[in-house]
Amino acid sequence: MQTKIPQTSSVMSALLRADFTTLWRNRRSLRLVLLVPVVIVISWKGMVKMMGGPYVISGGITIGLISIGLLGYTNSIARDRDKGVFQRLRVGPVAAWTIMCSRIMVQIATIMAMTIAIFAVGNLVDKIVLSPLGYLTGFFAAVLGGALYLSLGQLIVGLIKNPETVNSTTRLVYFIFIMVGMLGNFGVLGDVVKEMVQWSPYGVVNHMIGTALQPETWNLQATYALLATLGYSAVFGILGIRFFKWN
Amino acid sequence: MSNQQRAILEVDQLSVSYGHFQAVRQVSFAVESGEIFGLLGPNGAGKTSTLSAIEGLLRPQGGQINVAGFSILDQPLYAKANMGVQLQSTSFQAELNVAEIIRLFAGIYGKEMTPAEVEEKLVEINLQDSGSKRFGQLSGGQQQRVSLVISTIHDPQLVLLDEPTTGLDPQSRRQLWDRIEAIKAKGHAVLLTTHSMEEAEAVCDRIAIIDHGRVIAIDTPEALIAAHRNDPDVIAVCRKGKVTLEDVFIGLTGRAVRS
Repeated sequence: MQTKIPQTSSVMSALLRADFTTLWRNRRSLRLVLLVPVVIVISWKGMVKMMGGPYVISGGITIGLISIGLLGYTNSIARDRDKGVFQRLRVGPVAAWTIMCSRIMVQIATIMAMTIAIFAVGNLVDKIVLSPLGYLTGFFAAVLGGALYLSLGQLIVGLIKNPETVNSTTRLVYFIFIMVGMLGNFGVLGDVVKEMVQWSPYGVVNHMIGTALQPETWNLQATYALLATLGYSAVFGILGIRFFKWN
Repeated sequence: MSNQQRAILEVDQLSVSYGHFQAVRQVSFAVESGEIFGLLGPNGAGKTSTLSAIEGLLRPQGGQINVAGFSILDQPLYAKANMGVQLQSTSFQAELNVAEIIRLFAGIYGKEMTPAEVEEKLVEINLQDSGSKRFGQLSGGQQQRVSLVISTIHDPQLVLLDEPTTGLDPQSRRQLWDRIEAIKAKGHAVLLTTHSMEEAEAVCDRIAIIDHGRVIAIDTPEALIAAHRNDPDVIAVCRKGKVTLEDVFIGLTGRAVRS
């Protein structure tokens, strides 16, 4: 009897359907992940005149990306690994990369939805209007920035096996990134911290998205921020995949 | 070997280690089509490691495993496409309902199932009203039925069942035995692990007893009892005068409780 292995498209479509259904059934946590950046954009309305609309939008998107990458992706991977969900999938004729690819695609869709929500709230509440090209390049920069936080999440779940430890670590990293990132970027924590924050994963993503939202201002520093984002993503991603254990 | 009885699973000189600990030591056996083969052993004997290597979940340090002629090491997707697996503790995404889980695994094995076909599968296992329930809401017996239907959804030549009846009541256990025998009747091969000697005697055509990572006996249950009924170790543990498979098992593997 001839053996046929299932087509990758059939496997991907089944995995994506299941992963999107899971995301949809987790609407409560999805809302929480989306709520934080939306609240930030609304509460920073007063800063639009002072710092400019792109600054407020990029801040909101960066925080949203951190939430999705660290709280959404990482915890769901840690939980499913612990419960043996991956083990059950891997005994089927499924290439391991398709399982992870489906999970990442769901997170990228969330990133896209979050970015559009921030654009909409920024426009409707904060009256921030960008050029069509600004929206487009900002959108792609958000997806690129999302890759950095997804790879950071991959690194955490690769290095730490216990789901409770993963959960507490992601919350700690999330808190540090938001507090040190935001306050450091404002210069509240001093010039040294400000300089460090600018080249941290928070700072480079924030700067890259902020400049991408007004592409006419793109400069050498923005290019460095883009390269740093790609570099961080590659390093975190490679290490995260290298150390990841499926069970 | 005749056409009707060909080896679907061939395990040859399999060795599995965890660091310095050798869990499986040069284990060899074969399971033929239309055969139910039991793998028995005390806790920590190497059953699960053997099964995990066959399932492709861990890479052995030595040996060969072929499923329907495909090496699990060199052609894992082809080997896996020919096998269905029911793991010891099955877990699915908690947010999916039973019908969605069946559709997911049908897709993974390359079968697009319509809602009507999913319903048909549910009727087959007497769970027609449970399609919209979450897996965790089902009883142990119902969960095992769903797991078995998923592991055979693509009509595989080899079905691996890891302690399938653990925790089931006698009615559910008997029903599962009937389903396992139905798989055999279709000419497929079944490899199951169990701690129940009653189960091994009731459903297995042949069994292998594994201890300390080695196969220490392999034959039909009746032949094993006949071969060891006069062993002093077996007689010493015999409880009711008549030697059973359990007596042989304890006689061969020792009385000491394994952690």
